[in-house]
Amino acid sequence: MRNKDVPSPKKPSEESRVNRNRREFITTAVLAGGAALLTGIPLGIYVVAPAMGKSIEKWIDFGSPDALPDDGFEMLSYEFLLKDGWQILPQRGFVWARKMPENKFRVFSSTCTHLACNVIWQPETGTFECPCHSGRFDSDGRPVAGPPARPLKELTYKVEADTFKVRMTV
Amino acid sequence: MKPPEPITTTKDGRQRFRSDETKTLALNDPFAWLKRITVAGDACAWNRFVGGVLLALVVLLFLSGAFLAFYYSPVPGAAYDSVDFTLFSAPFGSILKGVHHYAWNLLLVLAIFHLARTFVAGAYRKPRQLTWISGVAILGLLPLFIITGDLLPWDQRGYWSTQVRMSIIASIPFAGDMAVRILQGGALTGIVALTRFYVLHILFLPCLLALLLAVHFYFVARHGFAERLNGKQAADHPIAFFPRVVNRWLVLFIVTVSLIALLTYYWPSPLGDPADPTDSTYVPKPEWWVLFLNQLVAIFKGKWAVLGTAVIPGLLTLFLVGLPYLDRSPGNRPAQRKTVIVAAALLAAVMIVLSLMGYFEHFGLPRQ
Repeated sequence: MRNKDVPSPKKPSEESRVNRNRREFITTAVLAGGAALLTGIPLGIYVVAPAMGKSIEKWIDFGSPDALPDDGFEMLSYEFLLKDGWQILPQRGFVWARKMPENKFRVFSSTCTHLACNVIWQPETGTFECPCHSGRFDSDGRPVAGPPARPLKELTYKVEADTFKVRMTV
Repeated sequence: MKPPEPITTTKDGRQRFRSDETKTLALNDPFAWLKRITVAGDACAWNRFVGGVLLALVVLLFLSGAFLAFYYSPVPGAAYDSVDFTLFSAPFGSILKGVHHYAWNLLLVLAIFHLARTFVAGAYRKPRQLTWISGVAILGLLPLFIITGDLLPWDQRGYWSTQVRMSIIASIPFAGDMAVRILQGGALTGIVALTRFYVLHILFLPCLLALLLAVHFYFVARHGFAERLNGKQAADHPIAFFPRVVNRWLVLFIVTVSLIALLTYYWPSPLGDPADPTDSTYVPKPEWWVLFLNQLVAIFKGKWAVLGTAVIPGLLTLFLVGLPYLDRSPGNRPAQRKTVIVAAALLAAVMIVLSLMGYFEHFGLPRQ
C-alpha cells in the first residue's frame, strides 16, 4: 500500500508541475530552442547532405573476351581513379570471370558475402574459397560451406567492339 | 527536511504538493544549484553586452570550427582541395567558413574594445587584478589562434603569411630559431608543420582558452563589476543568473549568429589560389591587427631589429599584465588616474599611427 503521508519528493505528479517560474522557463526554452535550431539545422544539413551522394557507376575495360577460359574462372584485376570527397585516389581490386556456352559470360565480385574478404577460385575443387573463415561458394556463386549465407554478387557485363566490359558500382 | 504535505488530491487519487513556497518542477532538483547563483543587477544594464557578445562569438567559433573539421584534411595540397570542397560542395559550407572568418575578426575587435572599456573604467584595479590579467591572457592567446589557423586552408595568403611570421619569430635572438623549429616541427613549412598547426588550433589552444575563460568568469563572479564612472550607484540588487543572464546571452547569441551569417552571405570569406612554395612573386599583406607590429619590424633594422620584434612587444605585454600593480592612483575615476590615462593614451596613439603608416605602405595612400 502506498503511504499517502510520505510521498516521494523526487516524483511530483503531472498536475503539480505548475510553477510560478513557468513563464521564465518557457522564455529560456524558446530562446535556447531558437539558438539550437538556427545553428543546428544548417550544421545538420552540412554534415548529412554530402554523405547522401549517389553511388558511382563505372564500366571497366578488360580487353578481348576471347582470352577468358571456359573451364574455370580467371582473376581480372582492375584499377580506376575515383574521387573521394576532395581527393582522387586509385581503387584497386579484382573480379572473377569465365566464358559460358553460346557466347555468354559469368562475372562474380570477389567480395565474400560473409565479412568482405576476397574469395579465391580453386580449380581443383571447382569452388570459390574464402581464406578468412573457410566459406565456400560453388561455380554459380551459391554458398555451399562455412558461414556465408548469401550468394556472391554477380556483376553485369557487356561486350562492345571485342572488348569485355564489367560494370562496377562504388 | 520534513516531507512536504499534500495540499489537494486530484480525482484519480494523485496528490499535489507545495514544497517551500514554489511548486515542484521535474527538473527543480538538478537545477537548484544553477538557480541559486545570483549576480549583481548591473549585469543586465543595457550597455553591458560586449562580454556576452564575446562569449557568443567564442561559442560560435568553437561550433563552426568543429564542423569545418568534418571536411578538412591537414595535408599540403589536399588541405586546399578539402576547403574548396567545404566551400563549393558542402551545403552551408561557404556560410560556415565565412562565419568562422568574420567571428574571429569581430572577436578581436570587441576584445580590444572590452579591454579599453575596462581600462577607462578603472575596473582592473584592486580587487579585480586577476579578472584583468586573465582577460589579457585570453587576448594574448588570440594571435596564436590566428597564426595557426591562417595556414590551414593552404592557400597563397596563408602559406606566405606563415613564412613572414616565422621569419619574424626566427629573428628574435637566441630563442627565435628554436621557437620556429618547435612550432613547425622542423625548418620546413610542410606536412609536419601543417599537422602541428592543426592540432594546436583545434585541440590545445581551445582547451587553454576554455580554461582561461573559466578563470575569467570565476573572478568576474567573485569580485563583481566596478562602480560606474558617473558616480551613480549601479543597480546592485542581486538578480538570478538563471534565467535572466542566460536569456540575455541566448538573445545575444541569436543576434550575433544572424548578423554574421548575413554578412558572410553577402561577402563570402575568400579562398585564394593554392599555396605555391616555389612562387617568388607573391607578397602577403599584413592583416589589420598586426599592422603596428609589422611597422615596428620595418622601422628597426639591422642590429636594432630586436627592438621591434621582441623588446617593444614584450614591454607592451608586461605593461598590460602589470597594470593593476603599476597603477598607484588614489581612485578609480579617470581624473584620479591622470598618469596612467595619459600613458595609455600615448601608447594607443602610437599604435594607431603605426597601424595607419603600415596600412598606407601596404595598401596605398588614400587618393588625393
